[in-house]
Amino acid sequence: MNKVYVYDGTFLGLLTLIRYLLSNKIKPYNIVTSEFQENLFLEVINLHLKISNNISDIFYQIFDKVTMKRVYYVFLSQEENKEIIIYYYLLNYLKYGYSLSGMRNLKCVSKVLEINKRVGNEAHKLKGFVRFKELKKGILYAEINPDNDVLEIISRHFKKRLKNEYWVIKDVGRNMVSIYDKKDFYLVLGENVKITEDLSAKEIEFSKMWQDFYKTVAISERRNEKCRRNFMPKKYWPYLLEVRDEL
Amino acid sequence: MDLREKLIILADSAKYDASCSSSGSKRQGDFGNAHMAGICHSFSADGRCISLLKILLTNACIFDCKYCLNRKSNNIKRAMFTPEEICTITLNFYKRNYIEGLFLSSGIIKSPDYTMELLIKTMELLRYKYHFGGYIHVKAIPGASEYNLQRLGRLVDRMSANIELPTESGLKLLAPDKNSDKVEKIMNYVKNKKSQNFVPAGQSTQMIIGASQETDLDIMQKSENMYHNYNLKRVFYSAYIPVNQDKNLPSLQTPPLKRENRLYQTDWLLRYYGFKVSDILDENNPNLNILVDPKASWALKHLEEFPKEINKCSYKELLQVPGIGVTSAKRIIKSRQYFKLDFADLKKMGVVLKRAKYFITCNGRFSLNKEFLNSHFIEANLVLEDHNPSQEKTYQMELFHE
Repeated sequence: MNKVYVYDGTFLGLLTLIRYLLSNKIKPYNIVTSEFQENLFLEVINLHLKISNNISDIFYQIFDKVTMKRVYYVFLSQEENKEIIIYYYLLNYLKYGYSLSGMRNLKCVSKVLEINKRVGNEAHKLKGFVRFKELKKGILYAEINPDNDVLEIISRHFKKRLKNEYWVIKDVGRNMVSIYDKKDFYLVLGENVKITEDLSAKEIEFSKMWQDFYKTVAISERRNEKCRRNFMPKKYWPYLLEVRDEL
Repeated sequence: MDLREKLIILADSAKYDASCSSSGSKRQGDFGNAHMAGICHSFSADGRCISLLKILLTNACIFDCKYCLNRKSNNIKRAMFTPEEICTITLNFYKRNYIEGLFLSSGIIKSPDYTMELLIKTMELLRYKYHFGGYIHVKAIPGASEYNLQRLGRLVDRMSANIELPTESGLKLLAPDKNSDKVEKIMNYVKNKKSQNFVPAGQSTQMIIGASQETDLDIMQKSENMYHNYNLKRVFYSAYIPVNQDKNLPSLQTPPLKRENRLYQTDWLLRYYGFKVSDILDENNPNLNILVDPKASWALKHLEEFPKEINKCSYKELLQVPGIGVTSAKRIIKSRQYFKLDFADLKKMGVVLKRAKYFITCNGRFSLNKEFLNSHFIEANLVLEDHNPSQEKTYQMELFHE
């Protein structure tokens, strides 16, 4: 019977389960969260493993930094069966070591690299596409709705960039909020945060100026809709002040 | 005149400058930082990236360059920002993450050094009063003193000057107040002084394409010389947009965008693919083929050097294959250490075979019948692959490290 293992949906939970599977030489049929639809042909196993404090240290001792970043990015993706892809990538790393990333003819390798590119690209794009509004008391607030769970990656970016500002970024689709208090950022569930969008006195003025600037810089003789949408896909437009009205 | 109106006038006057890259610096300030790879914040309706607040300090100018919207003989609305006003807009746009930083250029008022003083004043406010750490690209004013170049260069990430036209005769005809010595003096100064604290992101320049009679050979030779002499990061090519009427200017219906695209492709071949201008253009063929990209055009003339065997040929040879870029070449080199590649593997790795398939073998096998591999057949196919008028794209590669 095909064995399906359940984990708690967190990255550390997944590492804990994978460590158990690897050290007991178990090859799972799949690894899933508890939201998984059961069926007759699968045996579902939930080990309820305790996540130890040093689980990530253990992985960093066995796997190099680049590998850990790669599997973390896969975890942040929307990919179906991402857990089993991560499992096979780590399993093969134990066999081939550092040279694994060159072996693109292995399905798990080409998948991991492809997903990394996708997640990395979206995180990079969003570093540019986040639009803050200034609320009363000077708090900056932005909403995003990315395909992949890149809130933490872009929070790290803004922690360096806007280190002396208070800012809040909300992932609307996942209902997660990142709050920065001028020291560090915290990821919190949306229902635990109440945001009233009281705009600061100058907010309308600057947002208008930005919209003016956006329209002015386009050279009409070079108009190229396809090129614009290629670099800035429409799915981001509802959260982009300067093009929202064109939707 | 309120700030909003000034912004519209001075952004409108600055928009014909092609440069918008924000990469190559890792400055960190109390307010803002630079990102090594650069970040695009938006894309305008013409498909160009917006990463910097691109404005002029003023669009008033004592020069009368024929191609320029801001020439003194034009009857247009003039405006001027104060240094504090520029700071206000920059900081407020930056805080809201609209922009990656500031691109500041200016018309020349009173004298080059007077204008430089105003630019320096603005940068000092941004860096010292507001501790702004975001990216700044400033255009140095031709004719400015070395003392002022030194002061301005210490405050910014990129400082550059536009050559605008590749030949002295072109400049004489269209920009009588400018001469290439003044511009190249700035380039030379920046090259010799460049350090961690002085113009860390290096310099770039721009040429206008199609406003004068120069051939592609003139243009690319000028680029090659400038890359070699001044360590430029980039040369930008900007298809001439007829903003003025003048007997010395061509009357164009549409800007020569395809030509601009081919020049960018050639520029890439010089910088990343080990080509020289003399490989691609010469006195007998002074202009690029508009129908086929420059690498494919070169390959068609040198079919005796093909096919390249993917599993054996060197990195340099891989880069000569039409359709194989730097990323694909690196992937191929890395992967073939572990296994022999065939066409299916290349596809899986994301190597686009549309063009490459005519010029390569995998383990000695061709992807199509060998008898079709003559230049006539390949060219006919490549032209059709490339000729998709609905998909005319401007060349954009901001993410590519400079």
